[in-house]
Amino acid sequence: MGFLVTTLIFLVVGIIASLCTRICCNRGPSANLLHLTLIITATVCCWMMWAIVYLSQMKPLIVPILNESE
Amino acid sequence: MGERGRGGCCPPMDLMRSEPMQLVQLILPVESAHLAVSYLGDLGLIQIKDLNAEKSPFQRTYAIQIKRCGEMSRKLRFFRDQMSKAGLAPTTRSLPQDVLNLDDLEVKLGDLDAELVEINANGEKLQRSYNELMEYKLVLQKAGEFFNSALSSAEARQREYASHQSGEESLETPLLSELETANDLSKHVKLGFIAGLVTREKSMAFERILFRATRGNVFLKQAVVDEPVIDPVSGEKVEKNVFVVFFSGERAKNKILKICEAFGANRYSFSEDVSKKTQMITEVSGRLSELKSTIDAGAVHRGNLLQTIGEQFEQWNLLVRKEKAIYHTLNMLSIDVTKKCLVAEGWSPVFATKQIQEALHRATHDSKSQVDAIFQVLYTREMPPTYFRTNKFNSAFQEIVDAYGVAKYQEANPGVFTIVTFPFLFAVMFGDWGHGICLLLATLYFIVREKKLSSQKLGDIMEMTFGGRYVIMLMAIFSIYTGFIYNEFFSVPFELFASSAYACRDPSCRDSTTVGLIKVRDTYPFGVDPAWHGTRSELPFLNSLKMKMSILLGVAQMNLGIIMSFFNALFFKNSLNVWFQFIPQIIFLNSLFGYLSVLIIIKWCTGSQADLYHVMIYMFLSPTDELGENQLFPGQKTAQLVLLLLALVSVPWMLLPKPFLLKLQHSRQQGDSYAPLPDAEESLRSAANHDSHSHEEFEFSEVFVHQLIHTIEFVLGAVSNTASYLRLWALSLAHSELSVVFYEKVLLLAWGYNNVVILIVGIIVFICATVGVLLVMETLSAFLHALRLHWVEFQNKFYEGDGYKFYPFSLALLDHEEE
Repeated sequence: MGFLVTTLIFLVVGIIASLCTRICCNRGPSANLLHLTLIITATVCCWMMWAIVYLSQMKPLIVPILNESE
Repeated sequence: MGERGRGGCCPPMDLMRSEPMQLVQLILPVESAHLAVSYLGDLGLIQIKDLNAEKSPFQRTYAIQIKRCGEMSRKLRFFRDQMSKAGLAPTTRSLPQDVLNLDDLEVKLGDLDAELVEINANGEKLQRSYNELMEYKLVLQKAGEFFNSALSSAEARQREYASHQSGEESLETPLLSELETANDLSKHVKLGFIAGLVTREKSMAFERILFRATRGNVFLKQAVVDEPVIDPVSGEKVEKNVFVVFFSGERAKNKILKICEAFGANRYSFSEDVSKKTQMITEVSGRLSELKSTIDAGAVHRGNLLQTIGEQFEQWNLLVRKEKAIYHTLNMLSIDVTKKCLVAEGWSPVFATKQIQEALHRATHDSKSQVDAIFQVLYTREMPPTYFRTNKFNSAFQEIVDAYGVAKYQEANPGVFTIVTFPFLFAVMFGDWGHGICLLLATLYFIVREKKLSSQKLGDIMEMTFGGRYVIMLMAIFSIYTGFIYNEFFSVPFELFASSAYACRDPSCRDSTTVGLIKVRDTYPFGVDPAWHGTRSELPFLNSLKMKMSILLGVAQMNLGIIMSFFNALFFKNSLNVWFQFIPQIIFLNSLFGYLSVLIIIKWCTGSQADLYHVMIYMFLSPTDELGENQLFPGQKTAQLVLLLLALVSVPWMLLPKPFLLKLQHSRQQGDSYAPLPDAEESLRSAANHDSHSHEEFEFSEVFVHQLIHTIEFVLGAVSNTASYLRLWALSLAHSELSVVFYEKVLLLAWGYNNVVILIVGIIVFICATVGVLLVMETLSAFLHALRLHWVEFQNKFYEGDGYKFYPFSLALLDHEEE
């Protein structure tokens, strides 16, 4: 699906999650900022992990070499 | 309140910095003091300082009340002991009875105590006499048998000798005459006897000593009692023997009495007469049955008393503990000379001002006092305690951070990011969505039954697991995510998102085991391609991937740490730290390891075959050399030279300017002719333990050495901390390898035998191994390492953690405390 498209998907999911938290648990500006920070951190962490694994497989230097028994 | 300026750089965020605290002084009139402290305790938002620290516990104002409370809790403990001995448990959360006054409760407890003690003493006395009578009865029965048998045999012998008495002039003559005299009972040698009971273990020794002491001039007859007898003295069941000792003479009698006493053998008087014996036996039996009924009635009465105590026990216990806590707190207040009012000093959060004032007002009103309590805020340079307002979700994360060190007042709290990064790093090391689902189910059980479990008393390990249920829940959710990314379900990969990107080079798949597959489609869109599992080149690929991932994640977290230190410097308006600590640190870390991260990404994006180890090492060893095939982007050589220079420059930038500038700042401060006089009250209180940095002395050498240590720690730490993040790779490798072994060598092996019994055994072994090794041990292991990464590698970039925690005086906490 492409790197950029999936990155955009992560971004959209992050925005939707922060909107949901703002709607469900709106408890004042400082609490909202905390929730936003947590959502952003979680999104960034998940995106980084996915991106690292995806990028490493884009132009592989080694390929799977099967075992004899298979 | 501290004199430091507050930062207005960023909007306030919950949990990021500890609550602003203020030192308050309360002046309470004596009559409303008790009620006021009680209401403040219910509020639980003020930490009262001990103003009478030099006084001993006996010199304090309310020492007598505390002694009374101590006496009452002693009585309550006694009741609890008695109840547990009787097998009754105090009912928890009994019906709310009327609120009792402490004095009334004291009187009531005293009465109950006296009554219970009396019942116990009477019961014991009765039981003792019962046991003695039982023993007496046994003696009567068994010793009676001796005498009966002896009498019958004596009569038989007498008849025998009487028939032979005529004309026996032989050596037996003297014996006969002796026997006659013995039978006559009219001679001066009289046989006395003593009857009693002795424990079976000591009976041999008893016999031996009797024999030796009286030089063999006694006759002892013992009979075994079949069932164990309750000894009246000790109250326990022991095996005993009935004995009868025949002796002659006064001295022998005294010796025998003493020996009986020494052996604890109880003696009972006994008469030879047969008729008297039977009379005694019937009398004793009658008394025994009477005593038994009395004892039973007494036990029932005691049981009822304990029942009534048990119903109200918890409530009384709580009341006494509350009162004790209130009096302890009252003892911390200093009493005015006129004895008309008490002065309290304490820390409380600024937001609680209204609530405290309202509580004081209510106390004045309820105690019908004429004078209102006074509430005023004091100014001090002391460092206030740290208080985070946490809810049940983030309290566990805050505890994890606090376990390393409590945050200094108002410094940035790593707990904010720990809520996400800690479960995330755990998941990087745990990644398997099958195991993640198991963990999630286990922790959902705890969360669903939260209310019920929180009121129960759980064991130590369960308590810890229950306290960390939200942490584990997040860990499980992230593990499911990383499980999908690593494509492992109990180590089995699935083609969930698209088909694998790899296929054979040609339809016959000849080369698949030598040269391998090739990439025919787009990259597998989410996670590791399932084609890798079980191949020969799986490990080289995954190792390379995971090591690079660890470095990238590590550099990211460390940069976050340094940025947190920037926010701290902004908040405390410390521009010195911004220019001469934050900037050189960022430059140093990123010109080396940030550059490495960039190289990793470029290598992945371009598919170049450059050797990154070679690049990094020769960047230092020979930076001016040509790169050749290790060139990843044009202009790399110049870029590397520039970065190297920046890194080299940033080290003295971190080390040198700051001490000198601090010295300059200090001398400028000393030069100021106007300095505020210390507050009169403050100077009296300056003996308090929590003193902030003294502004008077400035040792340049100390500051310089401190900065040197800090710089060396950072520079060396940059390398070692980055390498430390490789544990993310190591543990994730260990987890997946263990998982593969359990799956292939246990489950698949058992499946291969086509035998139901072996299959079932295999499944059981697989489940036990998975739960024991992977779900418990690996969880703990990954938890520990993720914790270490946070405590050391993340927090040493910015966290000082030398504050102290806010412990408010709260009566609600007593509920959960054990005595």
